[in-house]
Amino acid sequence: MTTILTSRMENWIEACGCHLCVASPDGVPVVTMGRYAKVSGNEVFFGLSADEAGLIRTQLTENPWVAFGVSQVGGVRAAYQFKGKGHLITSGPIFDSYAKEANEVLGGSLHAILAVKLDEVYCTKPGHVAGTRMDTAPISMEKFEEELGWKDLAPPRRT
Amino acid sequence: MVKLTEEMRTALKVPGKGGSLVYLATSSLNGKPNIAAMRYVDTCKDDKILISDMFLLKTKMNLKENPNAIIAICHPLAAGAGRWWAFKGKAIDIEYGFSPNFDWFGVTAKEILDGWGDWHAKEPPEEVPPDIVYPVAAQRGVVVLHVEEIYSLKAGETGNRIM
Repeated sequence: MTTILTSRMENWIEACGCHLCVASPDGVPVVTMGRYAKVSGNEVFFGLSADEAGLIRTQLTENPWVAFGVSQVGGVRAAYQFKGKGHLITSGPIFDSYAKEANEVLGGSLHAILAVKLDEVYCTKPGHVAGTRMDTAPISMEKFEEELGWKDLAPPRRT
Repeated sequence: MVKLTEEMRTALKVPGKGGSLVYLATSSLNGKPNIAAMRYVDTCKDDKILISDMFLLKTKMNLKENPNAIIAICHPLAAGAGRWWAFKGKAIDIEYGFSPNFDWFGVTAKEILDGWGDWHAKEPPEEVPPDIVYPVAAQRGVVVLHVEEIYSLKAGETGNRIM
């Protein structure tokens, strides 16, 4: 199933970055930060430094599942959880296409791109909707956001 | 043995009391991860972090079969040197109905539920905007993480073991 994110999701992910979670095949989770994020179609690309990528490399080779939520104020205002399968890319055209932008965010320390192909999107807003799977709901994800009253299509700009 | 520092304890409070938003990460037994932001957080004894079980779903299911969990904070703009920690350990959801004497690494269900069992009344979500706050509190228990290891989430030091 192809999951295309809404504009709101895309804006928040790219502006705030994400908390990334992977796990060993027997269920030991590991968290690292995805400070640079770019959405393209049904994939999200995270720029990681060597230490950030190194922490999750072993797990990803054995178990590709990645879960992530929006960081910073997005943890409150953009209450989503995304799940998909990911892999690390350290060279080649995909790496090169994100390298310049990612290095600007990471202070020149880009080591790998984590590419995650999305399979599932959940709402994590506290209340009756917590845990609802949005990408398989009977209404579109845009309509879902509208019904929750989420009008802030992007985080406020810092002044 | 881990002992949370005062700086960590200050961070591990609800945002309205100077704490940072935390993320609770769990996994199913066959390795499907789950992560979500949490408001209700506090500490207990030297090495326990508490999270309210108010609207947990997958997290709860995961903890029923697999106690491995992480509570993460990444708040670079926090006062001081920023907050960048991942607290790793074993967690359980202590729900109403547990025997009062049930013990989780040195803390009893009675201590936990007496102290944090009605968290909405204890620390109401006054700082949460009205379009985000839940309509009715529905707490079913308290997640207790027994911290066994702390590693850094600071850029350039990610994964370095702090304790």
